[in-house]
Amino acid sequence: MGDPKRRYFSPEIETKPRERIERERDEKLLGDLLPWAYERSALIQEVWSEAGVTIDDVTTMDDFHQKVPFISKDTVRSFRDRHHDPYGGLLCLDPEMTEVFSAIFSTSGTTGDPTPAPYAGRGPSMLVREFWETGCRPGDHFVEMLFTFRGPGIHDTIRGIGATPVFLDHSPAEVPQLVRFSRELRPTAWYNLSGPLVLALEQHVADTGDNLAEAFASYRGVIFAGEPIGPRARHIVEDEWGLELFVQTGVGDVGAATECREHDGCHFWEDTCYVEHLDPDGAEPAGDGKRGELVATTLIDKIAPLVRYRSDDLVRVTREQCACGRTHGRLWPLGRKGDEVVVGGRSVLPGDVWAAVESVPETSAGLFQVIRTAREVDRLRLRVGYSAEGPKGLGDLRARVTDAVQAAVGVQPEVELVENEVLLRQGPPHKIPRVAKA
Amino acid sequence: MTFAAAYEDAPRAWGVGRLLLDGEVKPWPVSQHDIDDEAESQAPRLASLGVGPGDLVLIVAMLSEAIHAVPLEKAAGKLGALYSSADATPSDAFRVAYLIRQLEPAAVVGVNGAVVEGLRDLGRDPAEILAAVAGHVATADDVACDELTRLGLAPRRWVKLGPTSAWEEEPGTLGYDQTRWDASDVDGEIVLTNTADRLTPCDRLATGVRGQVPRPGRIALG
Repeated sequence: MGDPKRRYFSPEIETKPRERIERERDEKLLGDLLPWAYERSALIQEVWSEAGVTIDDVTTMDDFHQKVPFISKDTVRSFRDRHHDPYGGLLCLDPEMTEVFSAIFSTSGTTGDPTPAPYAGRGPSMLVREFWETGCRPGDHFVEMLFTFRGPGIHDTIRGIGATPVFLDHSPAEVPQLVRFSRELRPTAWYNLSGPLVLALEQHVADTGDNLAEAFASYRGVIFAGEPIGPRARHIVEDEWGLELFVQTGVGDVGAATECREHDGCHFWEDTCYVEHLDPDGAEPAGDGKRGELVATTLIDKIAPLVRYRSDDLVRVTREQCACGRTHGRLWPLGRKGDEVVVGGRSVLPGDVWAAVESVPETSAGLFQVIRTAREVDRLRLRVGYSAEGPKGLGDLRARVTDAVQAAVGVQPEVELVENEVLLRQGPPHKIPRVAKA
Repeated sequence: MTFAAAYEDAPRAWGVGRLLLDGEVKPWPVSQHDIDDEAESQAPRLASLGVGPGDLVLIVAMLSEAIHAVPLEKAAGKLGALYSSADATPSDAFRVAYLIRQLEPAAVVGVNGAVVEGLRDLGRDPAEILAAVAGHVATADDVACDELTRLGLAPRRWVKLGPTSAWEEEPGTLGYDQTRWDASDVDGEIVLTNTADRLTPCDRLATGVRGQVPRPGRIALG
């Protein structure tokens, strides 16, 4: 038997010296991934050709930074629509190669049509490292509370650490089963918790008086994903239910980054992706610890490789060693560039108003949208979900939300109130769109 | 190689799914062997729905239905076909419509009343969306079956029979794998016993499916 007490799943990779991480990363990028993608991806060929760049022009990391053009979700969608190619020109292999592929999955579709993605995975993903970090060990039960459209990668990853998945739907309707299975099977980890599920669990407690701290006592770690968690929800989950949360965020559609037990940033794995974080309006590096846009390049996806993919995600990034001993970079999600509004010269992101909305009891679910008709707007318009009108009616509630947001961001908002359900219906089940055009 | 294979004894249970028995949810562990054997058992049934080499089948299900849905996914591979997935919910009905349009599946399994409702909520006509796979749709509940029949789509029923699946072979009659399961009827309910090895045994399991067993391998619904 392996040693279940060891801290890291892959210690030789997770604590590799920085110099080796960077050398091997650069070799993989320049010597393997880029030639492969350039030769096979119609999108890469089109975008590089328009920029007047060939693979022969990119032999150093300086070349990469100076010459390789960016792509974005819009670039991929434009290619898809112009060429009637559902894969947006990204595919490097024929999706009908059933000896390679077993399935075609799709992205969540939160910001537009889902993007199909052929699946060749056989076995666990890189998430074994973070699943191990939750404290789950061989022989344990691991709650997998997800959707079907992302495929079997998570089942295989849970089994990859020697645990047994317990299948639950990522749905508020599953809360009674979650609580029951937690008591009966005593799982030690759970992937994943989300804002809408926190609301459903709170409702379960209100309806039944159930003691979730007791029901959830076996968990050593719970991964929270989908969107950021607000301070009120975090307090309930951590302090009242006793769960240790590991926040997870995406790395520009090429992977995921997840907190370790230090909870000081989300680790991304530099043997799987190259992360740049750049001036959101340009191409210059934002600098260690500074706010920038996450630009991601896969090092391992040979099927539909993304190269210099501008994710629209605003992050802070550091490559300083974490107190946990891991040497790979860390990032802190700050919001999405496309979610930012500038009101009278003041930048406002959804995260800036989150705590203010949560601070009003009737809107404490933190369900809200920024109405963004343009990046620069005259007024900050918010659509805010409420659970009850409150003792003095909606006019009073609107005034209290307005005051709370103004105190937090220094801008008086125009608040439209809607019932929570109106916003929750706009899902997918694990999040709501935080920005609406109208 | 997985960590479990390299360093640990592989977990005996592949996963813990569930059955709904007497209105109560029961956790139902299955092994890797169970999943593989069910896939073997279901492959010819999926083929009879029109799935063959080079095709794609869209499987509409929930993760909680994994012990029934994953064997179908693996059965597709045994037939040389690909599969794709969508949740069987109103909110994921847009994905069902999108994947049918983009991927042109040969068959769709698992459409339920919630998906039909979700398509209508999107302002879409279920008959129009599913017309391309008419005759190759298996429904997961009576609501969808009745509705799609009314729309002229000639659906077949896919019924969860305990931990295995049964398929409509002619109107009102289901077929199940009599080489692996023994079914009989008691007071109008189908009871099931495994005759092939399974991690969680069924010993005259009351399935909740109403019907009679006129002969081995067949269930007359009702």
